Amino acid sequence: MTAPAIRVAGLSKWFGDFLALDRISLDVPRGGSTVLCGPSGSGKSTLLRCLNGLERWEEGTVQLDGRAVGRRSRDLVALRRRVGMVFQSFHLFPHLDTLGNVALPPRVNLGLGRAEAEARAERLLAQVGMARLARSYPAQLSGGQKQRVAIARALAMEPEVLLFDEPTSALDPESVGEVLDVMIALAEAGRTMVVVTHEMGFARRVCREIVFMCAGEVVECCGSERFFEEPATERARAFLSDIRR
Amino acid sequence: MAGLLVPPRPSVPKPSRIGRLVRGSGRAGVASLILWGGIAALAAWLLPGALRWAVFDATWIAEDRAGCDPSGACWAFVLNRLPQFAFGFFPPEERWRAAVALAWPIAALALALGPAFRARALAVTLAFAAYPPAATLLLMGAPLGLAPVASAQWGGMTMTVYVGTVAFVLAFPVGLGLALARRSSLPALRVLATLFIEVWRGLPLIAVLFISVVMVPLVLPPGTELPRLVLALVGITFYTSAYLAEVFRGGLQSIGRGQAEAADALGFTYWSAQAYILVPQAVRAVIPGILNTVVSLFKDTTYVLVVGLFDFLNIVNAAVADPRWLGLATEGYLFVGAVYWAFCYLMSRVSARIERGMDRGRVQAGHA
Repeated sequence: MTAPAIRVAGLSKWFGDFLALDRISLDVPRGGSTVLCGPSGSGKSTLLRCLNGLERWEEGTVQLDGRAVGRRSRDLVALRRRVGMVFQSFHLFPHLDTLGNVALPPRVNLGLGRAEAEARAERLLAQVGMARLARSYPAQLSGGQKQRVAIARALAMEPEVLLFDEPTSALDPESVGEVLDVMIALAEAGRTMVVVTHEMGFARRVCREIVFMCAGEVVECCGSERFFEEPATERARAFLSDIRR
Repeated sequence: MAGLLVPPRPSVPKPSRIGRLVRGSGRAGVASLILWGGIAALAAWLLPGALRWAVFDATWIAEDRAGCDPSGACWAFVLNRLPQFAFGFFPPEERWRAAVALAWPIAALALALGPAFRARALAVTLAFAAYPPAATLLLMGAPLGLAPVASAQWGGMTMTVYVGTVAFVLAFPVGLGLALARRSSLPALRVLATLFIEVWRGLPLIAVLFISVVMVPLVLPPGTELPRLVLALVGITFYTSAYLAEVFRGGLQSIGRGQAEAADALGFTYWSAQAYILVPQAVRAVIPGILNTVVSLFKDTTYVLVVGLFDFLNIVNAAVADPRWLGLATEGYLFVGAVYWAFCYLMSRVSARIERGMDRGRVQAGHA
């Protein structure tokens, strides 16, 4: 058993008086994908955002590769260059074209030359099926196309871990599939991914681990087969029957 | 069956561009025609007299007032004084230097308006960025080995364009820095920036100029003497930077929170996120506001007359009082108005061009 890519221990976070995360402990295995699911307000997105330091927390630790995630901005910048993130509403840079969106982060943050960064961007855009639209601007793209570019942009930093925060929730039903296809290909290629999603089909197909959260706690954490076939808790059963309906 | 076929509709001709301009579209037709009729009547009433005075009865060449036809405009006055209006009291044999300083920003604006080429934005930016040191050295002369010309001799349109351009180019980065400081997470920086902005914005420009010229020398070490032009420039620059800071702050606030988060998540540092992602978007969002500030700065430079500098308006003012050309204030001020208007119109065309060039990337803030 290799060491986990990310280890969360005793993590608690409050929003004012509201306890958003309650002593979360969790290991994200290397080379596989982990799905965080649960009803809305259960804290899954908040937990995901703690993993790359977009949220601060009050207690506990997050370790990447055995090293604790610090709070100083220099440490956070170093951490985020190793942990990519894909957002629900894409957040592409509207003033740059598709190629620029993907080439800018490695050029500025990894010190790649322009030609090298653009070659990498072209390769990644081809990988997500967006090579043809390299000179389009985000405003000209559909939701599914924007999200595929956002995935390529996250990959351009060659991160060790990729975080997805409800990547298909803002999409039209017909473009969900094209984004899931890209994510499935990444998971099957052995990327370490943590995915917050309601797409249980995706979870079933590619996921090794399901983390079911409810009210700021991890209620179940098990292999995906077991979670879908025989969930251990009443809350997980209720959740599964809700989303299957 | 032929009887069921719908007869082809007679096609309605699409109105021409002029037709649309005259009639408007749809039901606005009648109101539009009445308005145009009113405008035509007004023009027919005013225009013949104005044309007769300004063109047909005007005198273009004369030695003095007496040589002018009193029933028309005396443009000879403006033409005779043109070199002085343009270059102030710059020594005639050195006027080419003033001409370069005057033409430089106009050429840069023309470059922005002309046909596009690769790296045009960079070329225009560099032309403006290089202007303050280059124009200052050229006008002073001595550091370049040219005949020295004291700043008290600079004047006319050259002075107006020089003060306006230098103040804008210097105020742009200062204003940007102030806007960033005002949104900083460090409370001390925020308070200082807010204080600075509110103080400069709360003073009338005339007061700013008096303060810089009368009071700044009091706090300088005795014996240091700065030309009035330098003191006035410092005052105008800070005054403008306070306004620009608020324009930039509006632009920064219009960017969705997601952009900063995306930059953070990709490992951008604070400064590289500002430089590559946030500031470019903020500046694009507030081009009309920047133009507004620049136009008002350009016209406000004329207040340097209160500290004894001879900008364009002031030098025309002085010429109007010349006994040889007495009583030609109308011609003088019409000329001043026309030149100022032409400059501001040129700037507004450039701003419209920049906005149009950015349309391809435009989206609602926060939905990229």
